[in-house]
Amino acid sequence: MQTFKIAASIVVALLLQILFAKRFSFFQYVELPLVITVFFSLQRSPIQGMFVGMAAGLGLDIVSGGDAIGVRGFSFTLLGYVIAMGSIRFSLEQKPVRILVTAVASIANTVLFVGLCKVLEKNVLTNGPDELLKLALYKAIGDTAAGLILFILLDRIFPRTGSTTIKRRFYE
Amino acid sequence: MSTNTAQHKAPLLLGLLLLLQVLLMSWNARTQAGDQSVLRAWVMAVITPVAKGTGWTIDRVTGFFDGFAELRHARDENVQLKIEIERLTQERDEAVEKAAVKNNLEAELGLRLLPRFRSLAASVISRNIAVWFRRLTIDRGSMDGIKKDMPVLTSSGIVGRVIEVGPNSSFVQLITDRYAGVGAMLQQSREMGEIRGQENSRCEMKAVAASVDVQVGDKIITTGLDGIYPKGLPVGTVESVENDANAPWKKILVKPSAPVDRVEHVFVLLIEPKDLKALEAFK
Repeated sequence: MQTFKIAASIVVALLLQILFAKRFSFFQYVELPLVITVFFSLQRSPIQGMFVGMAAGLGLDIVSGGDAIGVRGFSFTLLGYVIAMGSIRFSLEQKPVRILVTAVASIANTVLFVGLCKVLEKNVLTNGPDELLKLALYKAIGDTAAGLILFILLDRIFPRTGSTTIKRRFYE
Repeated sequence: MSTNTAQHKAPLLLGLLLLLQVLLMSWNARTQAGDQSVLRAWVMAVITPVAKGTGWTIDRVTGFFDGFAELRHARDENVQLKIEIERLTQERDEAVEKAAVKNNLEAELGLRLLPRFRSLAASVISRNIAVWFRRLTIDRGSMDGIKKDMPVLTSSGIVGRVIEVGPNSSFVQLITDRYAGVGAMLQQSREMGEIRGQENSRCEMKAVAASVDVQVGDKIITTGLDGIYPKGLPVGTVESVENDANAPWKKILVKPSAPVDRVEHVFVLLIEPKDLKALEAFK
């Protein structure tokens, strides 16, 4: 049931990304699937984080019409793993920390995405480091703002259980 | 497998998943010929009708409430529209007369007429999903006869070209994308140049010599020489012109005629590059 709910969350995030991007131009700076990845990765399961990241990233690659399918899949999978490992070693579940993690994940994702596109010689709309920095900051603001709202909603749908605390003990 | 064992195998799994993504990128890079990859085609085939249906429902609900708000302005708008209809009727009569004269002259001079292109209406499902590309997703695909490089436009001007086709959806590269190019010319002076996408929903007309007289408000149309867009389609209007004493070219900022960042419905001209080449040969 939990797996189904997570899969449904990813699909809904992709659908909302499509619908909102058409209606609100500022939504191009928001990646809801990334926010979903951060949320599920913070539940201290690297495997869950990786798979959610892969599905969300691949889904966004597919619907965004970008030239390279797999770039965001790669980036989100890696971020899912790193965030989950971080949440096992450090306490990241407080709300302000979660928002900070989202902002850092957004910037890391931008750097990874643009870097991989450059390696693959795919066209992305950046014209030098200044513009990349500007876009990375805008995206960090957009993703963080989306996280503020989405985390409240997701906390209600996926309430925290004792298992997340137990998972940390395994690693300690 | 216990949770602990599974979690300790996570680094190995991470390596496998990342390798899978790399293989996917490599496979995708090899199969780029205008058609959507199998994975994208499947996902888009499922998600397109859902997104279209949900979007339609949202539009109806918001439209219902907007309708109430707009009723307040309907009276004033009605008066304005009546004045506009009178003006347009006059213009239409003049245009009909001019067209009749033109047809007569063409017949007398023995000029070959350009064929009219068939077009297909399409709805925009999404636009600019990511900040990295200027793209539209439309609800028409190969099942409707859409092919790569077909021009996409509205009644006011060109929007872009089809870059990837799936069974029931296609991706359109907007003319405001920095990597898009359109062969264009100034309608009055017939001076040719190249349109390139810029930020902020604008384009730049390049390769226009500094000596050419260009005024703000000049209309720009397609040349038909880029192998994508037929000749004479509206591209945009000159928004600003800058002269640099040290540069051989003018810097011309162009506002697209079509509202590329707000467009809801478009037409796809069912014409392929090979048809355009045949047309050039015909001319």
